[in-house]
Amino acid sequence: MLRNLLALRQVTQRTISTTSRRHFENKVPEKQKLFQEDNGIPVHLKGGASDALLYRLTMSLTLGGTVYAIYQLAMASFPKKQN
Amino acid sequence: MTHQTHAYHMVNPSPWPLTGAFSALLLTSGLVMWFHYNSFTILYIGLLTNMLTMYQWWRDIVREGTYQGHHTPIVQKGLRYGMILFIVSEIFFFAGFFWAFYHSSLVPTHDLGGCWPPTGITPLNPLEVPLLNTSVLLASGVSITWAHHSLMEGKRNSMNQALLITIILGVYFTALQTSEYLETSFSISDGIYGSTFFMATGFHGLHVIIGTSFLTVCLLRQFKFHFTSKHHFGFEAAAWYWHFVDVVWLFLYVSIYWWGS
Repeated sequence: MLRNLLALRQVTQRTISTTSRRHFENKVPEKQKLFQEDNGIPVHLKGGASDALLYRLTMSLTLGGTVYAIYQLAMASFPKKQN
Repeated sequence: MTHQTHAYHMVNPSPWPLTGAFSALLLTSGLVMWFHYNSFTILYIGLLTNMLTMYQWWRDIVREGTYQGHHTPIVQKGLRYGMILFIVSEIFFFAGFFWAFYHSSLVPTHDLGGCWPPTGITPLNPLEVPLLNTSVLLASGVSITWAHHSLMEGKRNSMNQALLITIILGVYFTALQTSEYLETSFSISDGIYGSTFFMATGFHGLHVIIGTSFLTVCLLRQFKFHFTSKHHFGFEAAAWYWHFVDVVWLFLYVSIYWWGS
């Protein structure tokens, strides 16, 4: 009975390890090569074109939002008089 | 191209502190626009830019540490000090809410009926869901320790399982606490009892969600082979934060749920 239980445990462990091997391979060495390339690009843009896209999106939302917030502040500071 | 001859980390210029600071402005002015002018736009932009900043800032730290090798032992020491000091600041944050609770509950005023819980308040039974919540978080403390030891011993499968269990327990706590919030006969506006209860447990719940997110990021990094058995500070930082969240709950349970009933 105990030997069967031990065998079942081994089968489960083997199945799980095969599954995780199929889904994820170790890509760290290639990432290390990409990010250690001596090209002077700062880390926040060094990953490629999608980095630049995300940066531009973030910066435009931030600056645009700030301008809008200051505009709303100006509007709120001078309430329109109602007759 | 000149390279450094020291073991410290001179970071590349980064736009994220700026976007982070502006997102804080947008969050606060967004709240004002929501409270006073019934407008959500600035708040949404603030939340979005805040999320984008956090994602890219922490992505860059992973790149600097795991891919570029900048996290030398001395740099790691600084990161450890940083995380410890941050958690200490959070302890002080919660200390304020506990002060408020004890100030009001140790000397209950006449308008509360001179007693605690105040007249008219039916507190939750500490031996029901709150006790289950306590066991859930204590168990998650055990599973995260199991995950850490598995990681240090190079047992990849055990580590994945144990970390996943920890995250599931964190989500379970949040789900249980949400259902408890819907079950209470009192709300945040029910006097000082309601205020202290929901401010303290509410901020704790938020920290559980933050901790669970941090652990989930660690799980994804673990799947991608970022951690080694000797170098895994991101995981250790998440584990410290998680233990802190657990300890705060224990104080909440003993003070508010148990003594306070």
